[in-house]
Amino acid sequence: MLLSLNWLRAFTPYEGTAQQLADRLTMLGLEVEEINRPFAHLANVVVGRVLDCDRHPQSDRLSLCRVDIGQVGTLPIVCGAPNVAKGQLVAVAKVGTVLPDGKEIAETVIRGQTSRGMICSESELGLGEDSDGIMVLKGHFNLGHSLARVLDLNDEVLDISVTPNRGDCLSVLGLAREVAAEFRLPLTLPQTELPEDGAYCDQAVAIVIDEPELCPLYQARIIRGIRIAPSPAWLQRRLLAVGQRPINNVVDVTNYILQEWGQPLHAFDLAKLVGPTIRVRRAEEGQRFTTLDNRERSLLDSDLLITDAEKAVALAGVMGGANSEVTEATTDILLECAVFNPTSIRKTSRRLGLSSESSYRFERGVDQPGSALALERAMALIRESAGGTVLRGVARSEPRPWQAPRIAFRPQRAGKLLGLSLDETFCRTTLQALGCDVIEEDQSVWRVTPPGSRRDLEREADLIEEVGRCYGLDRIPSVLPRAAKSLDQLASLAPKTEFRRRIKLWGQGLGLTEVVNYSFVSTQELALLGLADAAKTITLRNPLSEEQNVLRPMLAPGLLQSVRHNQTQGNTTLRLFETAVVFQPDAGSETGAREPARLGLALTGQRHPEGWPHPTESDAEPTNFFDLKGMVEHLLRHLRLPAATFRTQPDHSICLPCAEIILNGEPCGWLGQVRADIAESCHVRRELFLAEIDLDLLLRHWAESVQSFTTLPTFPPVRRDMTVISAQNLTYAAIQEAIQSSDMELLQNIVLVDRFLPGTKPETEEIRHTVRLTYRHPERSLTNEEVDQLHQGLCNRLQEQLPIRFS
Amino acid sequence: MTVAHPAGSSTLAEQLDELGQALEQGLASAHTAAEVEAIRVAYLGRKGLLAGLMSSLAKTPPEQRPALGQKANQVKALLQEQMETRLRELERRKEHELLARFDPSLPGRAQWLGSLHPVTLVTEDICQAFVALGFEVVEGPELETDFYNFEALNLPPDHPARDMQDTFYIGESTLLRTHTSPLQVRTMERKAPPLAAIAPGKVYRRDSDLTHTPMFHQIEGFLVDRDVSMADLRGTLTAFVHKIFGPDTIVRFRPSFFPFTEPSAEVDISCMLCGGRGTCAGKSCRVCKQTGWLEILGCGMIDPAVFAAVGYDPEVYTGFAFGLGVERVAMLKYGIGDLRMFFENDIRFVSQFG
Ligand SMILES: [Zn+2]
Repeated sequence: MLLSLNWLRAFTPYEGTAQQLADRLTMLGLEVEEINRPFAHLANVVVGRVLDCDRHPQSDRLSLCRVDIGQVGTLPIVCGAPNVAKGQLVAVAKVGTVLPDGKEIAETVIRGQTSRGMICSESELGLGEDSDGIMVLKGHFNLGHSLARVLDLNDEVLDISVTPNRGDCLSVLGLAREVAAEFRLPLTLPQTELPEDGAYCDQAVAIVIDEPELCPLYQARIIRGIRIAPSPAWLQRRLLAVGQRPINNVVDVTNYILQEWGQPLHAFDLAKLVGPTIRVRRAEEGQRFTTLDNRERSLLDSDLLITDAEKAVALAGVMGGANSEVTEATTDILLECAVFNPTSIRKTSRRLGLSSESSYRFERGVDQPGSALALERAMALIRESAGGTVLRGVARSEPRPWQAPRIAFRPQRAGKLLGLSLDETFCRTTLQALGCDVIEEDQSVWRVTPPGSRRDLEREADLIEEVGRCYGLDRIPSVLPRAAKSLDQLASLAPKTEFRRRIKLWGQGLGLTEVVNYSFVSTQELALLGLADAAKTITLRNPLSEEQNVLRPMLAPGLLQSVRHNQTQGNTTLRLFETAVVFQPDAGSETGAREPARLGLALTGQRHPEGWPHPTESDAEPTNFFDLKGMVEHLLRHLRLPAATFRTQPDHSICLPCAEIILNGEPCGWLGQVRADIAESCHVRRELFLAEIDLDLLLRHWAESVQSFTTLPTFPPVRRDMTVISAQNLTYAAIQEAIQSSDMELLQNIVLVDRFLPGTKPETEEIRHTVRLTYRHPERSLTNEEVDQLHQGLCNRLQEQLPIRFS
Repeated sequence: MTVAHPAGSSTLAEQLDELGQALEQGLASAHTAAEVEAIRVAYLGRKGLLAGLMSSLAKTPPEQRPALGQKANQVKALLQEQMETRLRELERRKEHELLARFDPSLPGRAQWLGSLHPVTLVTEDICQAFVALGFEVVEGPELETDFYNFEALNLPPDHPARDMQDTFYIGESTLLRTHTSPLQVRTMERKAPPLAAIAPGKVYRRDSDLTHTPMFHQIEGFLVDRDVSMADLRGTLTAFVHKIFGPDTIVRFRPSFFPFTEPSAEVDISCMLCGGRGTCAGKSCRVCKQTGWLEILGCGMIDPAVFAAVGYDPEVYTGFAFGLGVERVAMLKYGIGDLRMFFENDIRFVSQFG
């Protein structure tokens, strides 16, 4: 809402500065975002008198003028306006002035003649719509004085951000009421004199409201014999100061009243209304209607229409129709001043994407009892500038008269809730200054009736807020709440929060970088990853763009996005992790989705940081699958969970190869090397590895796991290595399982110490796994002979179970 | 190595003295601990020179023996001391040579540096502050129903206040939560007062420009009990602000509007860059845009309509609620100028935090 200080002062005698007012309004909850001086560009525009005006020697259209601008002297100016003439008082933009359209006035030579300034039209100065010729000033003005000064244009305008509950502050009058209450100033409403003549309005037009819930009040006045013309200058300037474009003396008045009173009005050309009858009814489903902006709209029966006896003439409260618009030829006008149901207006305006100044105010509620005054003032202003005869009285129908709520208010509760000791007199005078009627039924409970403009005041809590707001919320003291909780309800982190925190600290400790990605990705990206199955994803109904139109069903797409961004920035080595929920459709959930928590890992580039001391040869290689697998295993060990098993997951859409992680028999995630085409789409030049782990499952096992102490061994271990030779398709897991299944009590540990392929014909050769076994007896030292015997027995059993040999 | 042999003509006492001098010369030419050891064996060993002299002690007159014995012991102690001194000297020289070759300025073997996202760090900081005040941490779904996100929070359908939060819809009445406030309702539905909780998490609004991202993080806090007042709210938030931004930060309450609180306030804090003056070194402050204040969070007393939705009696209980944007706090705390960097995840950005 733009508030002109000059306009405000027409209602209340505020004498302070704009900045002081802005500060106080902000602390009242009416945040002032900016203070503008809309006519600041006129500082260098001065009053001048045309001394001579001759035809330009080389042009028929141009005149050569000498303009007296007072003490500074006279300026030679070449002027192209047809109406320039000797003796006129004109507005002269001196060299250096920047006009509202951004044009800077410079000294120029036009067809051989020097021009040092410009004689301006109203539109060039941003003072009106007239661009046909230069602006000619009427009256007595001192030459050389600033135009802003002589036309009283030193206005300042506050840009106020009005919260949705304060519809009343979308008007100069509403803001004036706040200012008057805050500064304890009087509030003066404009005096309206409206001579009426001729027929009675309610006999000239019939008003029928079919939908009283959607239109509690409809009133109209008629004026005949007007002449459409530009509005008076003062009215145009007030509109211009708040960014409104003047159009004509009827439309401008409706805009003026909307700004001043917050009451939307609509002017119909009476000659175009059949009947004349005004009917308020619902649209028919699919009915088509062309609004003022010449767009045809398709309507629903939830839309409210104003019709005449035959046709729709306006989309109620939102926009008028093209068929009843006021034009240059209009002589008779029906001026509508109605109240519409906020919800209904909002539905229509949002559905059609058609938000107007009117709909904006109706949505926030207008002052039903106050609307009659707005209509009367509007009629008086039209009559003043357009002439004509105002018919007697008002045609009105008010099926639902305004019922002001009567609110019980307890001053004591106000103080208690605000944490203040409030003076009862302060409460009373504040509520009264805001226009409320206060009856003290007894000392502790008052009856408060708010004014019609304050539709936000419905309950005691609303009144307490008003009292607190006017007292100053910033004056409330600081007190720490006493804890009413007992010690058995110690504050704690939710298990999920606690667990996620551990995971994050683990990642940081391991040297990973945490990333946070958007929860939405594009269907295109999902398609690339083979995840575009619509049944398994959740799509946004109203995405901002196709880039972010679907919720990610796994973390991978987001992580890949992070990889892509970093690669384009030249960050080639990446060790990333992310913890977040993913979204999967679930018809059984009230939200329609499941949100499992996941941990994602992404790895590419160098295994070790660059530089001396150089790592060993294998450490200098780029990172590979086993680095990532090592991290996954480390996480499980870090959480003291049992070891997982890993098995090939064929046909994984993102990774090849890919391994499924199985924890306690349940699938718990996957890891693998990202397929070449996907890695390429992320601009990764080396291999890229991804893992995704089900954190909910991990949390469940973690929460159930019990840590307990095992006595430290006292007797020495004995180690034996065994080299198992087999075809390449025999997995290490098979060897490991075979050893474990032999169930030897004294076998304590198995470690793979080497894996070797001689390498001359790698496709066909046998592979050698060297495994180190640790034997230990808890109660005595083992002899070499005992261990040799055990070890040999194990080798023999393995050879029976597996297609292997030992030499 | 040369070991000086005492002359056969001198007395035993003289020979003992000469032994000491000879040792001193021998040690001076010993450059390693092994050489010192060889000298020790030659002089003090079982078959060494001292032992040789001592064996001739029996041939001396008995009345001289005690004095000579004493002298022999003194010489032995002296010899030992000389050798130890030399060993220490050699040890010192070795240390000195080692230090001369040692270059501590060479780089260590580099380890990967892990980093936490600034959103995580700030969330943790804030949660810790409130947990210390006795709040518990609660979480809820990011995909919400219209009921929890709006209706139960006194935001009926087609209410203009819904414009304040442009919403991503999934279905007719399911949406991505626009704030963490649904956790107020979900928690109050689950528990009876008194309660105090904070709810961190991702929220979503259909808005994207220089200062808005369609996803960001919020922390909601609320406390319900008998006789909770706005002064309690101010005290709690002041304690929190002082913990996060320092004890000199000034807190300002400014009236505002949220459908689920009444009265509602915006909380501003004094600008940490210019100290609330609005100017830094004569130039207008870029952080607070000359106002001296920074908007940091929204808060208020929980609206009776919210209590009605969860079945609390507003005549018996009152409570407060607040919500703050994590990225906003992180930007102020770390001096980050561009909101969008939070979700680009450039490792050169994230690695700055831990
Ligand atoms: Zn500042």
